[in-house]
Amino acid sequence: MHGRGGQGAVTASRIIATAAYEEGKYSQAIPMYGTERRGAPLTAYVRIDDVRVRERELVHTPGISLCFDPLLSLQQAVANDLLPNGQVLLNAPFAPDKSELAGNINIATVDATSIALETLGRPITNTAMLGAFAKATGVVKLESIEKAIKKYFPGRLGDMNIAAVRKSYEKVSPWVPAKNKVAPKMQVDLNVGGYGTLKDVSSWRVFYPVVNEEKCIGCKTCWIFCPEAALEWKANNKPAMVDRACKGCGVCANECPVKAIEMKRVEI
Amino acid sequence: MDEMVLVPGSTCQGCGAAMAARLTFKVLGPNLIRHGIPCCPDHVSKHPRAGSVFEAGGSSLTGTSRALKALGRTDIKAVAFYGDGGTYDIGFQALSAAAERNENILVITKDNEAYMNTGGQRSGGTPKYAETTTNPVGPKSRGKGEPKKNIPMIFAAHYVPYIATASVAFPEDLMQKVKYAKDIEGFRMILIQAPCPVGWRFDPAKTIELARAGVQAGVWPLYEIEHGTSFKLNYKPKELKPVSEYLKPQSRFRHMTEAEVNEVQGNVTTNWARLLKADEMKTVVL
Amino acid sequence: MSYEVMVGNKATAVGCKLARVKVAAVFPITPQTTITEYLSEIHASGDLPNFEFINAEGELSSQVIAQAAEATGARSFTCTSGPGLLYMHHPMQETASKRLPLVMAVVHRGVKSMQPDHSDLMSQQWQGWLHLYVENAQEILDTTIMAYKIAEDKRIRLPVAMGYDGYVLSYTAEPVEIPAQEDVDKFLPPYKPMPGIFPVSDKDDKWRDFEANPKTFGAGWGEGDPMKPWQMHNEAALNGETVIKEVFAEWGKKFGRTYGNGMIEQYRVEGADCVITAMGTIAGTAMAAIDKLWADGKKVGLVKIRSFLPFPRSDFQAIAKNVKAIGVFDRSCQPGMWGPVYHQMRSTLYDEAKKTPVIGFIGGLSGKEVRVADMYKIGEKTLKVAQGGKPEAPIQWV
Repeated sequence: MHGRGGQGAVTASRIIATAAYEEGKYSQAIPMYGTERRGAPLTAYVRIDDVRVRERELVHTPGISLCFDPLLSLQQAVANDLLPNGQVLLNAPFAPDKSELAGNINIATVDATSIALETLGRPITNTAMLGAFAKATGVVKLESIEKAIKKYFPGRLGDMNIAAVRKSYEKVSPWVPAKNKVAPKMQVDLNVGGYGTLKDVSSWRVFYPVVNEEKCIGCKTCWIFCPEAALEWKANNKPAMVDRACKGCGVCANECPVKAIEMKRVEI
Repeated sequence: MDEMVLVPGSTCQGCGAAMAARLTFKVLGPNLIRHGIPCCPDHVSKHPRAGSVFEAGGSSLTGTSRALKALGRTDIKAVAFYGDGGTYDIGFQALSAAAERNENILVITKDNEAYMNTGGQRSGGTPKYAETTTNPVGPKSRGKGEPKKNIPMIFAAHYVPYIATASVAFPEDLMQKVKYAKDIEGFRMILIQAPCPVGWRFDPAKTIELARAGVQAGVWPLYEIEHGTSFKLNYKPKELKPVSEYLKPQSRFRHMTEAEVNEVQGNVTTNWARLLKADEMKTVVL
Repeated sequence: MSYEVMVGNKATAVGCKLARVKVAAVFPITPQTTITEYLSEIHASGDLPNFEFINAEGELSSQVIAQAAEATGARSFTCTSGPGLLYMHHPMQETASKRLPLVMAVVHRGVKSMQPDHSDLMSQQWQGWLHLYVENAQEILDTTIMAYKIAEDKRIRLPVAMGYDGYVLSYTAEPVEIPAQEDVDKFLPPYKPMPGIFPVSDKDDKWRDFEANPKTFGAGWGEGDPMKPWQMHNEAALNGETVIKEVFAEWGKKFGRTYGNGMIEQYRVEGADCVITAMGTIAGTAMAAIDKLWADGKKVGLVKIRSFLPFPRSDFQAIAKNVKAIGVFDRSCQPGMWGPVYHQMRSTLYDEAKKTPVIGFIGGLSGKEVRVADMYKIGEKTLKVAQGGKPEAPIQWV
């Protein structure tokens, strides 16, 4: 399961493990991440078996791979090292055959980000993937997922998440089967750790700032308050996003005195 | 002034501490050795990063400062970028000792009011009623039960050359303080309140808005203390905004009752009156 | 060359001065305290130029200050004793992991008593330092200087702890020859920090170009194989066996005083049927017992272990070929596992074709006096095993 800090992939792995146990199976959910960073890529693993799972190696050759983030770098990573006839479930706003992976791998998609924004109001995609997971893979039943969610999110929050699960159960695409038995391996450069020098965080964004240069009065407020030095000041006295550095926090738009910056959803 | 922070940074979206680092190191420039301890964020600037164990940030900074002196390289400054855990709690003893020895060091503390590096556990810098991952609200808990440690006054009571508080929402004030502190000889500390969207639970776009609300409500007053006596309040609005404007957007405070908000308001109002008085007299009695 | 009758702790301070230590960070603890006082006197006198002396608020901080000063490029020193050493536990590991050639004097004080035994330094075996044990005040002064040369050697780059017994050595006065500063300067060149890691090493200030050459110093989230630093660290510590011998040989040539080969010192081993081992001040006492044993026709030799980490493996493998038994004296005990030197010795000899019996003795704990008669008995018991007898027990309390 591939996601980013804050998307709830680790919680999702535990919900699947709980749902499996509800159905009389044994399970194991392993999170793998460095320091806690919202937005940084992370991986979580789930094993399900009829007997107690004692093997503690990370899952290097998964049968099913889930990607909670719609951006490409993670999509590529999820397809690697799958078992023969492995399945990939992507969070993507398009049909599976539009994916670069189509043909190489059994693939299904669901627009989990939109579902999350509609049901939860925030782009936390974990539960919006779980309904799709239940429907598409049949590994666990929808009822078991819902039961597990109630354990993790009591009250109103649980209801909202169950709404997300049901919606994704309905909306997940059918499988587009692979043409090849084994997918070609792809090169991915993931910088997972919280420490160290990052090269590019453009994939962290769900929203990005768009400057209306006609409205902009060139006051530099956005540039001063950008927490990350992710805005550059152009020769025409207007700001522009530094693509590799902006994480889409929205501080610039929030601070702009004339509301000349709009946060737009990243299009895939 | 060049940007000295690493671009892109490794922090979460809307990180107040990243903002604090950006402004601070812009003023300080390249000629320094930055000390870090396990804190959030640590890996922030382009400077050589030295540092040691969590519990002894003041000591590792002392070592670098003294070695630079012994080597005749006083052109290079020893600067720390530590968090509230490393200042208020586990690192307090070593920092207090360094202050007492009046070591020639500059300590920048970005105060995000909990152990954010490990997932937001309570620290001595966590304010009263804040819910943290070790102060969950429940039938027997209202969040943190005790007030935030008054660390700037504690360090001022070491009679060190310079102590200041600053906010990321007031960049000019912050940068001016860093500039002033840069060339003073002896122990200098600037505490910067750094809102943490993840730990305080608010929309990352509101980082600056919230920091500003904190200052305007008098929750995080901006002041300077020199040599433990001379006092100056840097931001004095005619009227403070209600603390509820600061508390409300933060989910860590969402459980608070009206009575509890009033209690916090009462404390802030009393404290503000004391600060105004000190400002008028230009001195604090420590 | 001049001499002075001085206590062990003063010999340490004088050694630091001769090594031109730039930063010393200390905290007082009995029986180490007077090192801090002697160093403060050196500082106050102004005799050692550019010397920074820091009264830390505790041992954790004295270790960290010295560590950071060393990292910044200054030859540094710290010292402690018993509980203070235990308090340093966490940063000690960092000093070694950062490969900083710090030198620290450990004036032994037991963990169960204010009196000396080796349980303090032995408890720090896993910290990645080299551990030297010395016997008298002259050896302290000489070893302090040599320790810097060993620690700063490119093949080592590790901190060195020099242990010596509290009271009987730290507070005991004896004549010490003081080498001339210019001779020491020739022996020990100025400290050159490793380029690339130490921020202020480059005069052209290339260290500031962080993006071209990112350096973090401390945070352990590096790239690459996480076991690589461990392998390199282990290898460096093992290199100690070669480097220690080289440095001691050079010292002997220049100053005319030798301490065996640096790793061990042998006393009347030639022609002996068996040997006993000892460390620190006990070795001196043992020598008197050895003389008596030989006088009584009992051919027992002594091997004084000077370096416990790294352990003198090749030396003991050679010695074991020529003797019929080895009696190991431990001045510490790890409850449930007996003495650490005993285990090292048995592991060292395990693969040897010729099986030499190794028996253990534990004594001198919590400052219990070890007398010549005690060491005589140990010699006798070991000789009995060498002659084919069975020991009363594999490990015995003295």
